This record gives sequence, C-alpha cells and structure tokens, in this order.
Amino acid sequence: MSPRIRVTLLALSGLILLPCAASVIAGLPAFGSKIALYGERINAITPEARHVANMVSAINFDLRGLDTLGEEFMLLAAITGTVVLLRGHRGEGNSGRAMRRPGRAVIPRSEATVLACRIAGPLTCLFGLYVVLHATVTPGGGFQGGVILASGTLLIYLGEGYSGWRDAIHSHWLDALEGGGALLFALCGLVPMMTGAAFMQNILPLGTLRDLFSGGLMLVENLGVAMAVTGGFTQLFLEFMEETREADEPDEPGEESA
Amino acid sequence: MSVILPLLFLLTAISGTAVVLVRDPTRQIFAIAINGLVLTILFDALQAPDVALSELAVGSAAVPLLFLVALMAVRTQAPGAEP
Repeated sequence: MSPRIRVTLLALSGLILLPCAASVIAGLPAFGSKIALYGERINAITPEARHVANMVSAINFDLRGLDTLGEEFMLLAAITGTVVLLRGHRGEGNSGRAMRRPGRAVIPRSEATVLACRIAGPLTCLFGLYVVLHATVTPGGGFQGGVILASGTLLIYLGEGYSGWRDAIHSHWLDALEGGGALLFALCGLVPMMTGAAFMQNILPLGTLRDLFSGGLMLVENLGVAMAVTGGFTQLFLEFMEETREADEPDEPGEESA
Repeated sequence: MSVILPLLFLLTAISGTAVVLVRDPTRQIFAIAINGLVLTILFDALQAPDVALSELAVGSAAVPLLFLVALMAVRTQAPGAEP
C-alpha cells in the first residue's frame, strides 16, 4: 500500500468516524455525575442476593460470570500464542539452568538488593494471597492477586539471579497451574448443570456478608482465575527471559547476568 | 478533592507525553512505569480501587519488565547475526 493510498484511507475513515465519535462523546454523562442506573441496581440487590461486599467481584464471577469465562480463555489463548511464537525458533528444550550469553556483562548485585528482595519477596507473595482470598470482601480478586503473585516471583530473579529463579520456577508447574485454573473455572460452570441448575448458577452456600467465606461458587471461580493468571504471567516472564539466551549453548551453572 | 483531581489529570498528561517524547528505549520503559503509577493514583482518587490494583500490577510492574527483557534480547544479538 503506497503512502498516498494510506493517507486517503485515513482521511476517508476519519471523515466517517469522527462525527460518530463526536456525537458519542457529546452524549456521555458529565464528569463526576451520579452512578449509572445499572450500578445502582447492582448496589441495591447484590448484598442481599449474593452476600458479597465487593460488587466488582459479584459482577465478574456471578452476574456476568460467562464474560469472565470468555476473558479467562482469551488470556489462556494469548499466553499459549506467545509461548508458541517464542519457542518457535528456540525449540521445545528448556534448559533448567541459566546460561551465559557471550558478550553480555555479568553485573554483580549488591548485598542490599539481595536483602531487600529476600524481605520484600515473601511479603509481596503474602499480599498477593491476601488479595486473592479476600476477593469477595475487599477490592481486588483473582486477577489482581495473581499478577501480584507473579511479580513476587520476579523478586526471586532480582535477588537470587537468573539461576536461582529458574531453580524456583518450573515450566511444567506453570502449565499445570494455568490450564488447571482455566479448567476449574469451566468446571464451575458445568458442575451446577449436573445438579439440574443453570450454567454457572451459584449452588454453594452463600455464607455471611463481609465474611471471608462469602459468595459461594464465586470463591472457587476466583481461585481458578488466580491460578490461571499466576501461572500465565509467570510463564510469560519465563518465556521472555529464555528469549535472551540460546538453547544450544553449553550450560554454565552458577553464572548469572542482569 | 477539587485540587487533587485536576493535579492528577495534569500529571497523567505530563507523564503520558513524556513516554512519547523520551527517545531512549530504556528510559522510555521507566517513563511507562511512572505513567502507570500516576494512573494508579488517579484511579484510586476516582474511587476505583479494583482498576487501580490491576493498573499497578500490570502497568507498572509486569509490562515494563517484559519490555526490559525484550530490549535485552534485542541488544544481546550481535549486529548482522542470524536471529
């Protein structure tokens, strides 16, 4: 496509789309105006109907649970695609140990970094678990907690170096975690059907409002999302890190690079 | 609150523009991380803690790291070498 055609196409689409966008923007409610009608309905009915204090989780895992199931599998597909793409020319064989790229400086880390990471790493993972478990009570949930947990593993890399990180993280476990999480979520939709209820109907006891164990089936779905996101993001980090080294190089244990 | 929100909008605009204007890729990644941090504070001020948590974890930790690693992967390839 020549630049001239491209500019013509841009001008043409701009001519058609800009008035539409302008009319939509003009029709938006004013900044800081009151909560939309749907939000008001949710706020009114959910605490009694689902015994859940965090409305966002109630929408994500129960009222619009099917949408989240779709997103779950979108994430799975995106990460699978990335892994296939990155492993494409590197091959399936993942070395368990770190390898040294010639021509790249090995930067020694200071003891302060190691200490800070050893203190902050477990605390970050603890906070991630807290966010996952309190999905139905406080803001956050499986996705946020999962990403925090995945970032927590990065502190191992920062503190212990690449070989330490690879010792702690195993690709197969991540596969199982990611696939198992998505499977758990799908089962949460299918198992209620076996009891005669509708797809993803909340058949578990709902518990008490503002309690850790409230929301019934939402907690299981939340756990599935947390597993899939933790596994998926860590897998993504691992694949990107592997990309900086060559698979057919001889192993040199103990070497690490930043 | 009336002061905080316009200030945060201004910071968002400044940090967003900085991402585009900074030309060194490594510094650009840190500019993205700072932009994510500013957005996190903005979302929190607008009472959306769920979105703020996601933005904090994804926008200022996961994405900058992936960019950093990708940049490293590009840099370790010798010029003219078969990728």
